[in-house]
Amino acid sequence: MNAQIQGQYHGQSKPLFSLYFKTAFLTLLTLGVYRFWAKTRIRKYIWSATSGDGDSFEYTGTGLEKFLGFLVAIVVLAVYLGIVQMALFYFGLNLFIVPENTAQELAQIGAIYLTFFAVLPLLLFAQYRARRYQLARTRWRGLRFGMDSEAWGFAFRAMGYYVLVILTLGILTPLATFKLEKFMVDRTWYGDSKFVQQGRWQTLFKGMKHMLIGLVLLIAGPAIAFSVGSGGVAILGMVALVVGYIWFLIGAVYYRIYALNYLMSNRVLDGKIEFSSEAQTSKVVSIAIIGTIVVMVVGGVILGIAVGIGAAAGEALVTGGGFGALVAIAILYVIALLIIGGLSLVMITQPIIEHVVTNVTVHDDENHLNAIQQRAADTGADAEGFADALDVGGAL
Amino acid sequence: MNDVWGRFFDGESGQRLDVELALDRGAETLRLVHPDLPHGSQYWPLQAIRALADQARTDQLILSLYDDGALDSALITTARLTVDDAELITQLQQVCVNLKRKDLKRGTGRKVVTYTGGAIAAFALMVFVLIPAMANTLAALIPLEREVAYGKTVVNQMERFLGGANAGLACSNPAGLAALDRMEARLLEATDTDYDLNIAVFNHRMVNAFAAPGGQVVLMRGLIDKAGSPDEVAAVLAHEIGHVESRDVTRNALRVAGSAGILSMVFGDFTGGSAAVIVVEQMLNASYTRDAETEADAFAREMLSAAGVSTAPMADFFDSLGALERAGPKFPVYLSSHPETTSRADAAREFARDQRRTSQVISDSDWKALKTICDKPESANTEKEASAEDDT
Repeated sequence: MNAQIQGQYHGQSKPLFSLYFKTAFLTLLTLGVYRFWAKTRIRKYIWSATSGDGDSFEYTGTGLEKFLGFLVAIVVLAVYLGIVQMALFYFGLNLFIVPENTAQELAQIGAIYLTFFAVLPLLLFAQYRARRYQLARTRWRGLRFGMDSEAWGFAFRAMGYYVLVILTLGILTPLATFKLEKFMVDRTWYGDSKFVQQGRWQTLFKGMKHMLIGLVLLIAGPAIAFSVGSGGVAILGMVALVVGYIWFLIGAVYYRIYALNYLMSNRVLDGKIEFSSEAQTSKVVSIAIIGTIVVMVVGGVILGIAVGIGAAAGEALVTGGGFGALVAIAILYVIALLIIGGLSLVMITQPIIEHVVTNVTVHDDENHLNAIQQRAADTGADAEGFADALDVGGAL
Repeated sequence: MNDVWGRFFDGESGQRLDVELALDRGAETLRLVHPDLPHGSQYWPLQAIRALADQARTDQLILSLYDDGALDSALITTARLTVDDAELITQLQQVCVNLKRKDLKRGTGRKVVTYTGGAIAAFALMVFVLIPAMANTLAALIPLEREVAYGKTVVNQMERFLGGANAGLACSNPAGLAALDRMEARLLEATDTDYDLNIAVFNHRMVNAFAAPGGQVVLMRGLIDKAGSPDEVAAVLAHEIGHVESRDVTRNALRVAGSAGILSMVFGDFTGGSAAVIVVEQMLNASYTRDAETEADAFAREMLSAAGVSTAPMADFFDSLGALERAGPKFPVYLSSHPETTSRADAAREFARDQRRTSQVISDSDWKALKTICDKPESANTEKEASAEDDT
């Protein structure tokens, strides 16, 4: 056993792409039913590609349990959403007065759309449950991870912190990031050992510096352009606007990576095992940019062929018998979407995962990993069914 | 064979054991040897060995053992054995007959059927019974003045949508408005309504009309242009009054609010999923509104009859509407929000046969006036195509 374990990643583009293509196609054929199995198989691949000290991670979830969990979740959600949304809409209607001006009218229409916030606490609930399920189905060296069952506590705290973030125009984002991550990490287990998140939330302010620079450029650029208004300075203002926008976007990535590294490096397992993370914004951004360009070019070419056939089909329709061409377009369109999805997975998602994983180090100076024992299995009744129903968590 | 090693985790502790492996084809077992194992060794029956699926690494094989009482839903033990010796991997792939087998717990089929059936039943109950019932109840509960306020907002929105900002689409020719008033009075002569009707004509070429909550009814100029007689316009008006009286629009708004997003949950975010959601949502909406349309038609026939107006022109109107529809793309009935125009026309014609002593709803001079209701003020800028809610 080494005192230091470096994360390793063995995933490759070709097998993952073909796995994605195959499972996404089956999902399409089954009108979406296969998506639970598709997601599970992709997770199995990515988990098994990740390893530390030569031992691979394992994802033990199954498509079947996700499907069953989903069935339970949609019934609960249909009842909840049906009742809550309609009740909110009804009370919204009861506030209606004959509008005297446009602003009042728009405010009333807007009030009705507020009903969609009925789903917000459920999204946060589902987010916690999904992470808990994934941890319960993750193993390394034969030991399960796990998380305590406190999804509602998380949902209410998250709503509180997000309200604070909105009220302070985003200034308290580090507080929300840190406290919510700490809430989850402090309830996370590996075998019978508990994780603790240490550190101070104020430190994350440093990670916001590039977002701040972008924001200053965004505001100062147009301000200068409008106040001076004369040729050269105005152009400079517009350049500042564009640069500021890009700077802000990259700054947002920088913040996420900064937070990831800081939170990971201040995480302790069982008071003895420590971690460090050295992911780099530049690497992540360049993966994203190159990947996006490739995906757009390839997707564009295929869609272009589809449009070309479409033009030909238009003529064929006039002469009759363009049905075959229409089918051909539909198939090409679907293939284009599947290829775009698969390419984003292997060109963007997987390389970023690889970069993050290979930059994590586990420090086990006291050789404590060998002393950790198994934890009881979480049966996890809903198997992140709520997250699936509400589409929380994206591709993985 | 030289010594072959594998990495073994017993699933109880995180302790890694580098075990010595030996394949015994005679006894059909794989032997694991390590001093820390209980009794120093373990024997894995070859037919019980399973390999993990969808693995990224092809240079290793992770094995486990079948266990029909396992908590793990794949029915394998918690122990794992990683083999990375290429030769042994090849041998194992030959001799382990069930290596890639996917085991399912007994009764899984029944469980899947029960869950699926239960979920479909509960979901259908919610969407087809409970949400409409709740919408009915709430639509009846809402105070009249709130409904009127809501309806006015809807009409204002519609006006803005059809004609751009502050277009002032409402037609205001005094003679035309007076003729419209007389038509309304004739229809209401013998039929009581809960609402104070507020009927407007919009200067727009669409052949359409719609009812908004709280007694708001809007006819489009295109519809009056298209109509062959005032009785056809009266039939449309009576139909819309039918919607107003049964609070169809309010009920529908409540139902849509209640079922918002529920369908997209079922299909999720897979490629082509949103297309499926749109089709199913359209079918669902159509099934509700078709019933409401049929009822509004029946209401219109009774109203016209009570006012002594023939329903034969109603049939004519549906016939000409049918001709318009046939010119456009053809949709199957289950996708359309309205019943087929031929059956609507037939119903009106049938009804007209039993009617006695009818007269035209307004005089010919009033009809002439109604046709000019949108004249005088600017009649341009309304030639924009709009796909508003079709409610004739």
